[in-house]
Amino acid sequence: MSSSSVEDIPDQKELFTQDGVLLKACIGRSVTELNSVGMLCIVQTGEHTKTIEWRPIDTITIDSDTQDQEWAVVNTIGRRERTFSGNLTADYLTARARIIRIPLDELKSFRVTRNCQLIQFSTYPGVWQTTFYFQHGNAETFIANLKSHVKTAKTRHDRNTYVVVEPNTESQVLNRSFAELDIFTENTTDVVWNLVSNFKQRPYETTMEAFSKLTDIVYYGNEGVNGKRDVSEEVADLLTKSMSALEEATTVTKSDEYEVISVKPTLPPRPSIPRGPPLSAEKWEGLQDTEGRVTEVEGVKQLIFRGGVAHSIRQSVWKYLLDFYPWHMTTKQLKILHRKRTDEYYAMKLQWRSMTEAQENRFAEYRDRKSLVEKDVNRTDRTHPFYAGDNNPNLVLLQDILMTYVMYNFDLGYVQGMSDILAPMLLLMGNEVDSFWCFVGFMDRIASNFDMDQAGMKQQLLHLQQLLAFASPELARHLSSKDSGNMYFCFRWLLVWFKREFSHRDIMRLWEVLWTGLPCNNFHLLICVAILDAEKETFINRDFGFTEILKHVNDLSMCLDVDRILSSAEGIYHQILSAPHLTNQIRIVLGIPTVGNVTDPDDEEPSTSMDTKDNGTTEPDDGRDMEEGSIEYDGVRIYTVTKNVWALLA
Amino acid sequence: MAKTYDCLFKLLLIGDSGVGKTSILFRFSEDAFNISFISTIGIDFKIRTIDLDGKKVKLQIWDTAGQERFRTITTAYYRGSMGIMLVYDVTNEKSFENIKNWIRNIEENASADVEKMILGNKCDLDSKRQVSKERGEQLAIEYQIKFVETSAKDSLNVEYAFFTLARDIKAKMEKKQEASNPTRGSGAHQLRANEQQRRPTSWLSRCSLL
Ligand SMILES: Nc1nc2c(ncn2[C@@H]2O[C@H](COP(=O)(O)OP(=O)(O)OP(=O)(O)O)[C@@H](O)[C@H]2O)c(=O)[nH]1
Ligand SMILES: [Mg+2]
Repeated sequence: MSSSSVEDIPDQKELFTQDGVLLKACIGRSVTELNSVGMLCIVQTGEHTKTIEWRPIDTITIDSDTQDQEWAVVNTIGRRERTFSGNLTADYLTARARIIRIPLDELKSFRVTRNCQLIQFSTYPGVWQTTFYFQHGNAETFIANLKSHVKTAKTRHDRNTYVVVEPNTESQVLNRSFAELDIFTENTTDVVWNLVSNFKQRPYETTMEAFSKLTDIVYYGNEGVNGKRDVSEEVADLLTKSMSALEEATTVTKSDEYEVISVKPTLPPRPSIPRGPPLSAEKWEGLQDTEGRVTEVEGVKQLIFRGGVAHSIRQSVWKYLLDFYPWHMTTKQLKILHRKRTDEYYAMKLQWRSMTEAQENRFAEYRDRKSLVEKDVNRTDRTHPFYAGDNNPNLVLLQDILMTYVMYNFDLGYVQGMSDILAPMLLLMGNEVDSFWCFVGFMDRIASNFDMDQAGMKQQLLHLQQLLAFASPELARHLSSKDSGNMYFCFRWLLVWFKREFSHRDIMRLWEVLWTGLPCNNFHLLICVAILDAEKETFINRDFGFTEILKHVNDLSMCLDVDRILSSAEGIYHQILSAPHLTNQIRIVLGIPTVGNVTDPDDEEPSTSMDTKDNGTTEPDDGRDMEEGSIEYDGVRIYTVTKNVWALLA
Repeated sequence: MAKTYDCLFKLLLIGDSGVGKTSILFRFSEDAFNISFISTIGIDFKIRTIDLDGKKVKLQIWDTAGQERFRTITTAYYRGSMGIMLVYDVTNEKSFENIKNWIRNIEENASADVEKMILGNKCDLDSKRQVSKERGEQLAIEYQIKFVETSAKDSLNVEYAFFTLARDIKAKMEKKQEASNPTRGSGAHQLRANEQQRRPTSWLSRCSLL
């Protein structure tokens, strides 16, 4: 589409006009322009060039009341005798600027829906840039006329969509090349490449991923036909398939004044990010001031995120990570705090310890919780030497801490999985009080996992599904096709933060990294994505179904490499972050400030970005990135993803 | 891959947390017992192929987490079950009372023609018993469901329970076969694998397909 300027006073011929056409949507145009009535024309603009033009009504007046017209063209096919007129007043100029032009040799596709009353045009795969509504009757005659100027093909899977296979006479060469390519036997990627480069439009490189996904159509779409099928129809399929693939990855950003659609279909390559050494004792000491305050909290977290914590200082560092110890407290203050928390713990412990048997007999809810705890304590990490054997005193500690937690948070009570969460902490801390308060800190982050209605778990599974669909779309599609789109097979991973999947040593590493809250919210979901993505080939190539998927995932337990997974999860994070087609839906899940004034498609709540999250700490939304992401273009303020993306788009 | 079985039955173990579902399954699939089992989070299944009157029947047995709040997730796996073991713990009164709730849960989430069986587990712990065998039998009569007391620990009646359930499923299949195929009905009480291809109804026909 080109925008108008004063200079191009038309030396052009209307080949077809249709009045009473409403502009319903147009990328880059202010919404105030939408819903205005105008005329849709097909215009001969040069010897070999034709353009679809939509002119708002303001540029059109009835002939009789215009004396001072500079130019006038009589409608050739319109229902009423109608004249264009215009004078070069300021009003007229702004109206002229609203003319929309779609050169026919740029037109890729158009779609007709709603009883043929709505027509959409596309000059770029995956985007319907303009939408028009035919107020009087329908678009049939317009389309019939349009088809006399461009060669089109309908697609098999969407009968409403026409793909332009031969924009104008010049590209007959192109058409021939399709036929010569022997499109069904060549390496399909090459075919797509040829197709793409032949269209010599826009930076198509970016759409390659979407195109390469189409290979299956070429492989399977022509069974038994073996090239006999109309090539143009095949190509039409390819193109529209790519359109819908891209559409899925399209962000439509709506605000009061703008409608902007930004498209970028590919995920950039995954950077391989090395893990670092664990935070050492020396470094840790060096990061505390003379009075024992931890300085450079962010730096500490960065180090831990990169390499975890050396085992020798875990006992101390975990207390900070789990909000038992505030970072800014001096050693002296911490001593006082610790004493206070110790007293609190024993006070709560006394509450249930002093319950008599008779009391207990009349307190069913308490009894139920107690028996649940007992059952689980006896089944928690019993193969680990620390918890092995009959009458192991550490089991009593587990029981006591969990019972005290029941008193601390009776509403939540005890839920299966909690003993798994506590076991590594007690193993590390070795004492009730510290383990209890660290456990409280962890539970605060994941309490929603244990909701009575499981809403927290369900939301995470949904978010996981969304992330996977973005980061590993092929796998996500496979899972959906196997009835596994609800991601229930990841339930165990999420409920106890992978506790059942790793050894004690590895789970400590994984947890401390996740507790830093870096690099984004819900990084634990990206851990899931990383694990699943590594199994992608197995799932897809071996065509795993519902049961095989569950079995395979369950059997991954104790076979996972924690460092490799952390590294690839971080890589995936960077891939997502720099993906040009990053959507607000994904941003919300990861706690990245959203772009534009959007509504979360999930819950219809206005997204104030940071407050929508599952777990972890809240960070303030300072709106900084919002500003960075907004750009002025052609006098219209446009919100887009990042400057880089805009650079790509422009 | 060559098929090594004639039929696949999907079975399900449900009941309160700690009644011994995983232990029963472990006993049946590995013939072992482990006092230090871990609680079930989410869902898992195990496979054992048994010989049932000359047919190789592959049992795919699903084990779910018992705690009530996980039910929204676990019930998603009820779909397609042909047989359900309702397990309670004879040393735990509450788990016995809850059988009624589990039955209601099945009615809401599993197919209507699913075969059921009630198991009173841990019958080796006689000293701690809270639920008598008679009460178990009474409940079974009330719901018209077969009942047996088991011990995963002592390997008592576990084999019997699964074979009984599998046999009941098979019998039900044959009966349905009969009913929907009246022309062949007279006298032919045997399940013939190639006779069942034309009817894609419920799980019954799946036997030959899976
Ligand atoms: N004495 C005895 N103990 C048993 C028997 N079956 C299970 N147990 C014990 O009971 C406890 C619970 O058994 P599980 O098999 O884990 O129970 P579950 O029903 O799978 O529990 P959830 O997974 O929490 O739903 C374990 O400590 C077992 O060792 C039995 O037949 N006799
Ligand atoms: Mg279990």
